[in-house]
Amino acid sequence: MAIPARRRVADVAAFTFATAATVFGLIWLAWILWTTLQEGAAALTPTLFREMTPPPGASGGLLNAFYGSAVMILLGLFIGAPIGVAAGTYLAEHGRYTRLAAVVSFINDILLSAPSIIIGLFIYQLVVRTAGHFSGYAGALALGMILLPIVVRTTDEALRLVPDQMREAGFALGLPRWRVTRQVLYKAALSAILTGILLGVARIAGETAPLLFTALNNQFWSSDLNGPLANVPVVIFQYAMSPYDEWHTLAWAGAFILTAFVLLLNISVRLLARRGKHK
Amino acid sequence: MNETSSALRIRPADMSAAPASNSAPAAIGIRNLDFFYGKAHALKDVNMAVPANSVTAIIGPSGCGKSTLLRTINRIYEMYPDQYATGEIAIDGRNVLERGYPLSDLRRLVGMVFQKPTPFPSSIRANVAFALNYYERMSRSEIADRVEDALRQAALWDEVKDKLNQSALSLSGGQQQRLCIARAIAVRPEILLLDEATSALDPISTAKVEELIHELSERFTIVIVTHNMQQAARVSKRTAFFHLGELIEFGSTSEIFTNPREQRTRDYITGRYG
Repeated sequence: MAIPARRRVADVAAFTFATAATVFGLIWLAWILWTTLQEGAAALTPTLFREMTPPPGASGGLLNAFYGSAVMILLGLFIGAPIGVAAGTYLAEHGRYTRLAAVVSFINDILLSAPSIIIGLFIYQLVVRTAGHFSGYAGALALGMILLPIVVRTTDEALRLVPDQMREAGFALGLPRWRVTRQVLYKAALSAILTGILLGVARIAGETAPLLFTALNNQFWSSDLNGPLANVPVVIFQYAMSPYDEWHTLAWAGAFILTAFVLLLNISVRLLARRGKHK
Repeated sequence: MNETSSALRIRPADMSAAPASNSAPAAIGIRNLDFFYGKAHALKDVNMAVPANSVTAIIGPSGCGKSTLLRTINRIYEMYPDQYATGEIAIDGRNVLERGYPLSDLRRLVGMVFQKPTPFPSSIRANVAFALNYYERMSRSEIADRVEDALRQAALWDEVKDKLNQSALSLSGGQQQRLCIARAIAVRPEILLLDEATSALDPISTAKVEELIHELSERFTIVIVTHNMQQAARVSKRTAFFHLGELIEFGSTSEIFTNPREQRTRDYITGRYG
């Protein structure tokens, strides 16, 4: 049976449009990666990972910033992920049919879309003002608070995707809810939950505003979480705004590493999700 | 088949005197059972005595309440809001519907197998051993023995003995269903509820599971829900016919299928509706 010409035209048009839209989206990513790579190339040497952020006019690297970022992201992960998984579990399992869960879920959605600068200000008021100084702890707390609602939402959804039959099968064996959740549902939803956590990490890795108010920055090497801590996003921000060429180059290099890190994280999320499906 | 003529439909009055009229004593005594999904009245004043160590089939058209009855016996419906049962289901002389009756006790006593196989995403061994250490403290070797025992009873041992550590999800549908049966009997229940346990399986797997049901009936009281009347006729000793939430007729399977007393049963058996 011949396909009417109109449908063929519509098909070609839809295909062309969809492809063009995809290419349009990808162009920007490629462009960002390319520009940051090109502009930062001069600083993309082993020195970048070996030396501290330099004063104007001198050469140096971003070691202290990488370290600070890594520590705060990890600490933020340890703050946000467990609470997020627990809260998501409550929403999906224990509180599923309750009013409280509906309210919590709604508030979580608001937190999810709250501008990160608000969270930064909140932690500034709560921790930095109280303690009297900027600190890595405050930065980690702010990052954890941004991570939290992401993990809550993805855990909730991941658990809801596990068919009720699994729950019934677990409960029919007489096991209490926490054991069914731990031994059956978490296992079934594992890759989806991990995916959510990794996506959250990718999100907080690039957050600048909350760190500006909390960890601030540190020109020197510091592993003291109780004081100002260098970190990649704020260094990029400060160096890019500066009038010095060396700093510009370092900012570009930092931007490239950050973008590549987030890209890598997203790719591993994809692989993880695929593995989960084929299991 | 002279035993079948009496007490096809057990009335409340009969129950108090002698639960299961003639054959073995009743394993499950259901009295004045009503069930509600919110406002929908899904089971209406059901009275029946399920005899011990035999297979009882529950048949009826879709929505007649046959699965609901099973889900009431182990109270799995309590997972969901707005579902509740009133009346009495007596097992070992106690009303399991009473609030104070511990669910874990009930579900240890009453195993359940579902329509679709529900292997957990872990190894074959872990699936069978899943609930074991929750109920009893056992050494590794004891657990291994119980796992082997359950898999043998479920006629699966020879197929999986060399790959106990492989994922249960790697098994075929029929094997998965027998694994679920093994998992259910590993905790040594008295009663086994099978909710259309073969309807997702191919004919060969179905035949295997039916054979298994037959063997298991020596040790367990088995209640199966099926929409397949031939299956009910093949595997069960007694059959209950439900329609619109009511128990229409309950009697020996041969009687139900060859000479039902109720017109509605006859109509269903002969394929007029359902």
